[in-house]
Amino acid sequence: MSSSTQPFSFPLKPFSISPRLALAAGLVALFVAVPLIYIFLRALGANPEDWQRLLQTRLWRLMGNTLALVAAVTSGTLVIGVGMAWLTERTDLPGRKAWRWMLALPLAIPAYIGAILHLALLRPRGGIIPQWLETTFGFPVPTPSPLGFWGAAFILTAFMFPYVYLLSGAAFRSQHAALEEAARALGRTPWQTFWQVTLPAMRPGLLAGALLVTLDVLAEYGTVALLRYETFSSAIFAQLYGRYDRSAASILSGVLVSLAMLVLWAEIQLQGQARFTQMEGNWRPAPLAPLGGWKFPALLLVSVVVSISLLIPLLVLFLWSIQAVLDPQTLAQVVRTGSQGFARFAWNSLWTSALAALLAVTLSLPVARLSARYPSRLSRLLARLCQVGYAIPGVVIALSLVLLVNRFFPILYATPLLVVIAYVLRHMPQAVRASESALGQLSASLEEASRTLGRTSLQTLFQVTLPLILPGLLAGGALVFLTSLKELPATLLLRPAGFDTLAVRVWMWASDGFYIQAAPAALLLVLVSAFPLSFLLRREQMFR
Amino acid sequence: MKTLQIQNLTKQFPSATQPAVNNVSFALENGEILALVGPSGCGKTTTLRLIAGLERPDSGSITINGTLAASETCFLPPEKRGVGLVFQDHALFPHLTVFDNVAFGLHGCRATSRQGRKREEIQATVLDMLRLVGMDSLARRYPHALSGGERQRVALARALAPRPVLVLMDEPFSSLDADMRLEMREQVRNILKAMQATVVFVTHDQEEALFMGDRLAVFQRGQIEQIGAPEEIFHASATRFVAEFMGDSDFLPGWARPDGIETSIGLLPQANNLPLASNVEVAVRADDIDFDPDEIGNAVIAARFFRGAFNVYRLRLDSGQILHAFKEHTCILPVGARVRARVSAGHPLAVFEKIDS
Repeated sequence: MSSSTQPFSFPLKPFSISPRLALAAGLVALFVAVPLIYIFLRALGANPEDWQRLLQTRLWRLMGNTLALVAAVTSGTLVIGVGMAWLTERTDLPGRKAWRWMLALPLAIPAYIGAILHLALLRPRGGIIPQWLETTFGFPVPTPSPLGFWGAAFILTAFMFPYVYLLSGAAFRSQHAALEEAARALGRTPWQTFWQVTLPAMRPGLLAGALLVTLDVLAEYGTVALLRYETFSSAIFAQLYGRYDRSAASILSGVLVSLAMLVLWAEIQLQGQARFTQMEGNWRPAPLAPLGGWKFPALLLVSVVVSISLLIPLLVLFLWSIQAVLDPQTLAQVVRTGSQGFARFAWNSLWTSALAALLAVTLSLPVARLSARYPSRLSRLLARLCQVGYAIPGVVIALSLVLLVNRFFPILYATPLLVVIAYVLRHMPQAVRASESALGQLSASLEEASRTLGRTSLQTLFQVTLPLILPGLLAGGALVFLTSLKELPATLLLRPAGFDTLAVRVWMWASDGFYIQAAPAALLLVLVSAFPLSFLLRREQMFR
Repeated sequence: MKTLQIQNLTKQFPSATQPAVNNVSFALENGEILALVGPSGCGKTTTLRLIAGLERPDSGSITINGTLAASETCFLPPEKRGVGLVFQDHALFPHLTVFDNVAFGLHGCRATSRQGRKREEIQATVLDMLRLVGMDSLARRYPHALSGGERQRVALARALAPRPVLVLMDEPFSSLDADMRLEMREQVRNILKAMQATVVFVTHDQEEALFMGDRLAVFQRGQIEQIGAPEEIFHASATRFVAEFMGDSDFLPGWARPDGIETSIGLLPQANNLPLASNVEVAVRADDIDFDPDEIGNAVIAARFFRGAFNVYRLRLDSGQILHAFKEHTCILPVGARVRARVSAGHPLAVFEKIDS
């Protein structure tokens, strides 16, 4: 009789869009999209002879190099990331909680610092390990070259697998135990269950992780440059920095961004599906698989991974830092370079990254609010436009900004502000995603309640909305801060002369071969990055 | 002066094919509770949101306490309307205590001349409100530490605290358990009546609407089908939809005669001015039908539903028509038994001209 037990379901109302909000969001999206559009225009409008020349000579080789590296790193990170996630989430591996942290923390180490250490330890002449072998055995022992494709693939895999680890760990964790039990009841062995049910059910999470890695490899400059493996990013950088050939750089950038847009498009398509793995009310964790006799091989494997991507880099940086501090001459170099002190680099890093985080989060608010509260085709389009930063590698942002600013705002050229703008453009997607999810979790009726209780929309924003979404906004800000801190190529290309950040200093010293001198700055960079990272990790179910 | 006056209100959402609210007019006296009732998507919640100022009407006007709140040319934002709104999900601010939630509407209000209200005065008002809803002992709690019924009462206290001229309630009991709901609606109605509040109450539950409303407005497809006292809506349904929605009516076909309606279970003596021999339908509810076992009767028992205090029998007439009838809980007859059904209503039944479909 009474139908009151059935849930009342009226679709979320498509309110009449507030024109002020739509305008603000539109401006933000425009700001983010302009550098991308401009690069395409420059690429298409480039000298046809340059196109001809590049097509005949370097383009295909660069494409091959880049795609090969993407394929190798993506599959490497998938194998290691999923493997480690399975061991820490689904088995009775001893010390899982500690391993989880150690497997996620390599995200605080920029890959180029890994590459610097790799080179210092392994380079054929003068590397620490070959030298040690020579003195031990009395003759040069051939060691594998740290350079080229394999070197780059190794380093990038070692420092990027945590993306896949975190996403697949969350997927393993949120999977309902009944899923695997059903497969077993239907006659599958545990092994078949893993391949036929467990992994396919995590596919959205895995693909999202793989695509993030792909975008990062496409954008990576420091590692490939240092290890002398030419990809689009390093080629564009060389055109800009050495030869100053903007036409060729634009063409290469156009191709690279097209490639990245393709990947980003796939990633955005998958975003919605990744939510599929969320926990349901009656969720029950899957039981842990007993490792039995495999316990020690498993521990060994995890230790090797953690050593390569976290412990050895930290240890070496630490030892070198001590060495640098103890040696008066090196210390003097570290503390004062030219007219600038160490504190100045650190300060430059901090304020540019912090300002970028603040700006990115602030700018993300109108876009996120529009797409969370007024879902429509327009708001979706604006939100997607704000995701393009993922697809624009640092070198391309730098090129686009140099060209744009020279032409339209010469006053901005060679100011630190330009560096901040580059950070904001590149890392806007992270801020938009964080703000969107924070606002999405906030019921619209809370804001409406505030309005009916006499608050204006602005008062409501400050008294109700912001206090409630603050943790989500902080997370977005922390992510932007973290990635801006590690950013290298755009900073190198856009900074005014003499404006050094920690990342820039590490890079300059290391490229000149002063590894020990670079160590304190690198260690500080890693330690500072570890703070926002641990704040972000603590928000995840896995690290509670 | 009417507390609320709504004239020709229309609202069309861009994505919808027909208006969510279509040319709706009604008015509310001071101290009156009006229940808007209808199926999901009928426009009742949109009407409420239009009154609150959370949506902008396309045309028509809303006048609250003599002040024009919305028309084609003017739009008063929600914070200036002086209405209290109780939400379906309660919408308590999770970052504020129960006390601060209730006090929220008392600080810095622009809507009325409450500015400069002293701290002690606010405190006293909040405590009064919390006492009224029986929540004064939990004033320091945060919303997440409250039960559903407690949240409900805080939401009501918060909406009532600024003494709004009009209280709007959007399915306030739908998130509560069934037994809690019965208890709450009695409490809430008593509180509203004690405060002499003027209330617009939205629900999709006809029983709740009959209980809460001094008057009911039955909505369908954005329009008001009928507005009136609960008894009037229930016994003298103006349309077939109202009869069907408000009380699980069966529709018995018949033919109009000057002295009554001829049906397959006999003549229904009920004067009418319908055209002679026109096809009509009589809305009959289970309490209007009775039957006795009869070997040569006009129906068979198709099913019996035991409801504790009584039995509901489903009868299938020889024409295939289904009717329902109440019997006391001791009267148990087997399914398949032949019976004679008859109309036993002591009041005129609602008759509708048959619409050919």
